[in-house]
Amino acid sequence: MDEKIISRVDLMKICKDVIDKGNTLLTPGAADYYVVKDISDIILDTSALPSKISHKSYVFPRTEPVLYYKRSKNDVQLIDINIDSKKIVILGAKPCDANSINIMKHLFNWDHSDEFFNKRANNFMVIGLMCSHFDEYCFCTSVRSSPVSEKGSDLFLIPVDINNYALKIITEKGKEFISPYSGYLKPGDEKNSKLITENVRQPEAAFDSSEVYEWLGENFESPKWEGVGNLCLSCAQCAFVCSVCHCFDITDEDYSYTEGRRMKNWDGCQFGNFTLHASGHNPRDIQSKRYRQRVNHKFRYYVDRFGEILCTGCGRCSRGCPVSIDIKEIVSNCNDNQKEFLK
Amino acid sequence: MNELIKHAKELLEKGEVAAVIGYRQVSEKRTKPVIITEPEETRALVFNEYCLNNLAVYLTKARIKLLGRKNNKSFKLAITAKPCDVHSIVALIQENQIDRDKIHIISFNCHGVVKDFGFDFNGDNLSSKCITCETHKPLYYDKLLGEVKETPQARDSALERIKEIERMPHNERFEFFRSEFDKCIKCYACRAVCPLCYCQRCITDKTIPCWIETSSHQRGNFAWNVIRAFHLSGRCTGCGECDRVCPADIPLSLINRKMTIEANNLFSFVSGRSLETPTLVGSFNEKDNDELFM
Amino acid sequence: MPHTAEIKEIIDESPDTRTFRLRFRDAETNDRFKFKAGQFAEYSAFGDGESTFCIASSPTQRNFIECSFKVYGKVTQSLRRLNKGDTIGIRGPYGNWFPLEDFKEKNLLFIAGGIGIAPVRCVFNNVLDLRDEFKNITIIYGARSVSDLIYKQEIKEWKVRKDIKTVITVDPGGETAIWDGEVGFVPAVLEKIAPESENTVVILCGPPVMIKFTLPVLTGLGFKDEEIYTTLENRMKCGLGKCGRCNIGNVYVCKDGPVFTYAEIKKLPREF
Ligand SMILES: Cc1cc2nc3c(=O)[nH]c(=O)nc-3n(C[C@H](O)[C@H](O)[C@H](O)COP(=O)(O)OP(=O)(O)OC[C@H]3O[C@@H](n4cnc5c(N)ncnc54)[C@H](O)[C@@H]3O)c2cc1C
Ligand code: SF4
Ligand code: SF4
Ligand code: SF4
Ligand code: SF4
Ligand code: SF4
Ligand code: FES
Repeated sequence: MDEKIISRVDLMKICKDVIDKGNTLLTPGAADYYVVKDISDIILDTSALPSKISHKSYVFPRTEPVLYYKRSKNDVQLIDINIDSKKIVILGAKPCDANSINIMKHLFNWDHSDEFFNKRANNFMVIGLMCSHFDEYCFCTSVRSSPVSEKGSDLFLIPVDINNYALKIITEKGKEFISPYSGYLKPGDEKNSKLITENVRQPEAAFDSSEVYEWLGENFESPKWEGVGNLCLSCAQCAFVCSVCHCFDITDEDYSYTEGRRMKNWDGCQFGNFTLHASGHNPRDIQSKRYRQRVNHKFRYYVDRFGEILCTGCGRCSRGCPVSIDIKEIVSNCNDNQKEFLK
Repeated sequence: MNELIKHAKELLEKGEVAAVIGYRQVSEKRTKPVIITEPEETRALVFNEYCLNNLAVYLTKARIKLLGRKNNKSFKLAITAKPCDVHSIVALIQENQIDRDKIHIISFNCHGVVKDFGFDFNGDNLSSKCITCETHKPLYYDKLLGEVKETPQARDSALERIKEIERMPHNERFEFFRSEFDKCIKCYACRAVCPLCYCQRCITDKTIPCWIETSSHQRGNFAWNVIRAFHLSGRCTGCGECDRVCPADIPLSLINRKMTIEANNLFSFVSGRSLETPTLVGSFNEKDNDELFM
Repeated sequence: MPHTAEIKEIIDESPDTRTFRLRFRDAETNDRFKFKAGQFAEYSAFGDGESTFCIASSPTQRNFIECSFKVYGKVTQSLRRLNKGDTIGIRGPYGNWFPLEDFKEKNLLFIAGGIGIAPVRCVFNNVLDLRDEFKNITIIYGARSVSDLIYKQEIKEWKVRKDIKTVITVDPGGETAIWDGEVGFVPAVLEKIAPESENTVVILCGPPVMIKFTLPVLTGLGFKDEEIYTTLENRMKCGLGKCGRCNIGNVYVCKDGPVFTYAEIKKLPREF
């Protein structure tokens, strides 16, 4: 792996160039990842917590048309969508977030490839930033990641002093992106950046994901689900802010008497009508079954299907949950014999 | 605190209630709801400036109501409620969603809560509802706990913001709401956390005809946010929960508070304040001010 | 992207069930569209959305496909408003199928309840076209009442055939004065006629309650779990293993199903 040094000033010049070329530059804010209009808005703070909402809407928009239709007397004309495929550079992605597109890629490419997702994902350029602060909800280290993980980043930044970053070139894509700017790069010292990353405080591993996997396999009917099911309010805050939840709904929307479009919209397994049949039968009729689906999907089913945990450990679902249901607490306590997932 | 635990434990031991809906501490500056059915578990109960949740939301949930039925007998449910949460309980009783006799209200002398978890409790971080709170002592309760303490002084910046928005020219005001509603991701956390959004089948879930498009684009978001605001006008008790939980940081309580101010100006009514006066929506009167509809 | 198809014919099967005979607008698609018995497709009424139905005609039937649907909600109501000559959208075929190759030289027992006759009819007609390859064939079909029975014309044809045994039943109270079939719920009728279980494959489709009560009866009669095939009908949207709502445990019903054996179902979490 190649490592360089770049000054903050020069990094900003690159950012400005990205914007000037008409590409989208994204960076995390407090509520959401936002599109940078002016480089003076860029914060690049290693001690910021993950934003309330993840960047996933830029690869998997919360709503998007998948086809247009035009009805005439007997016939219907279908019009393909031109997928808007602007280059997106995401600057300062948290290490947990950086890996999310990689995790979702499995789902969107097994059997059938989803061109909407792929086109956007291929146009993503991820510049990760080391993370130096965690709170009670972070648990990246329990899901095969860490505050210094380069997984999913094309380029990775480590602050070496106030004015300079170590820039690691992780992928071919990253190399290609940075090559026009090689004038800004100075040779780096891997030993130095290693010393920094080794000294980053990391959240203590809260659980062993393979134990959780086992437990879930044996405890589909555990009374613990009832306890958390009673508290959960069945919104979709947790699924919608999550950087790897990927469920969607398909619905038609007319915008005139003869024309309309078919939309693909975010959906979440915590909603009561997510699995409701037309006949009134509902396989997941109560909240405890829905919450069980959430945890099982993340820590068991996805592992079965694709070998990855469907969770990056960012903790935003727990931080934002209206009733503070903490997914980390729940999976960490699965093995103790408390009736509910109480501490 | 010990008094709360003692009282709750007694209720459960004597079999007066089937469950206690309360708060437990999860970290220094955060609590979360807990539903307790065993007397020993009451030791987890707390009440302090970090008890932000309005637990009244649980009272209309089918599974929670079920807790109150054991061996074919129906029991009371006990709930710990801030004086402002009691307003929600009152509104629910008024709207015939729950029975006063089936609820045991444990309330407190309250001097305010923080605006969100993780903040220090002081004037700067006081929840905006507490700044204008007129009921530091609950209007209705079965057990009153806690000592009377001074509420920190703070500026009512929310009201200033409402005034500011009112002064905006029409198109600017529209633009303000458009940009705010644009952020909505349609997670429906605001609906889930609201004690008065108890409809079994919310209008958003109805597909024939489809009133609110499920897409979270401009039209769909506007329809959702505006319809919700209207459906809660004259019913919202001002607990501010929707605002607190919105992941997109949309200032929902500005809209709800404005609606409450209007309802109060027009009909001298504020929801959830009295068990005697009928609800606003259910009490049409010839003499009602009809300005709103003109 | 769905294909567009023309509604060639509409058959009113019962007060709430309709069959469409469909032909793709595009001749090339017509030639290319091949499927196997048990697969499903997504049908769209543009403006109201998509719905999942199995393909009810036999794969040996070229030039058109048929689907039968019961009117429930938004999409199915909208489909019912369409007339002959109108256009609908079709995506598919999706999902797995009944492994007919494995059924050869065996007895076949078809059991269908309600709209579950639609997928059964597809396999049944497919099997009849290859009649010689199978041994005894029995079909038990139950509906709520006489007027709820669908494919009435075809049933008449089945009944006169000597090489198949056809048993039609309606729920108690659903019979008419001239009804000459059985009266009783499917599991009870099954118990009564007690078909041979040796070397027999069962194809079972119907509402969840019927399946729930029929399975123990089959086991009681000595049928093997691996020889009982059924379909699961979870709510679906994409049919492509993406939208995430059809799963039971780690299985995507739209891709790994809808056809499962009882032995496979027993291994799944109880969530359907
Ligand atoms: C593999 C499979 C095969 C099926 N075959 C048939 C068939 O041959 N004939 C038939 O009449 N019905 C069949 N169904 C059920 C049929 O899909 C639903 O009855 C139908 O989608 C109801 O749509 P609606 O718009 O009228 O109902 P609404 O309640 O308005 O539903 C709206 C949306 O929910 C979805 N939905 C609701 N219920 C179901 C359900 N039970 N299964 C799947 N999606 C659902 C639809 O996709 C629709 O977009 C099948 C279902 C599956 C999964
Ligand atoms: S866990 Fe929390 S965020 Fe998720 S559905 Fe339940 S209440 Fe909503
Ligand atoms: S499940 Fe929660 S912690 Fe895991 S990635 Fe999603 S939002 Fe983050
Ligand atoms: S957890 Fe739920 S919403 Fe998220 S991907 Fe899984 S099924 Fe979908
Ligand atoms: S509004 Fe009043 S009752 Fe409610 S928390 Fe604030 S001070 Fe307490
Ligand atoms: S909580 Fe906020 S983002 Fe979620 S639906 Fe309500 S307004 Fe929209
Ligand atoms: S129907 Fe979408 S994943 Fe199966």
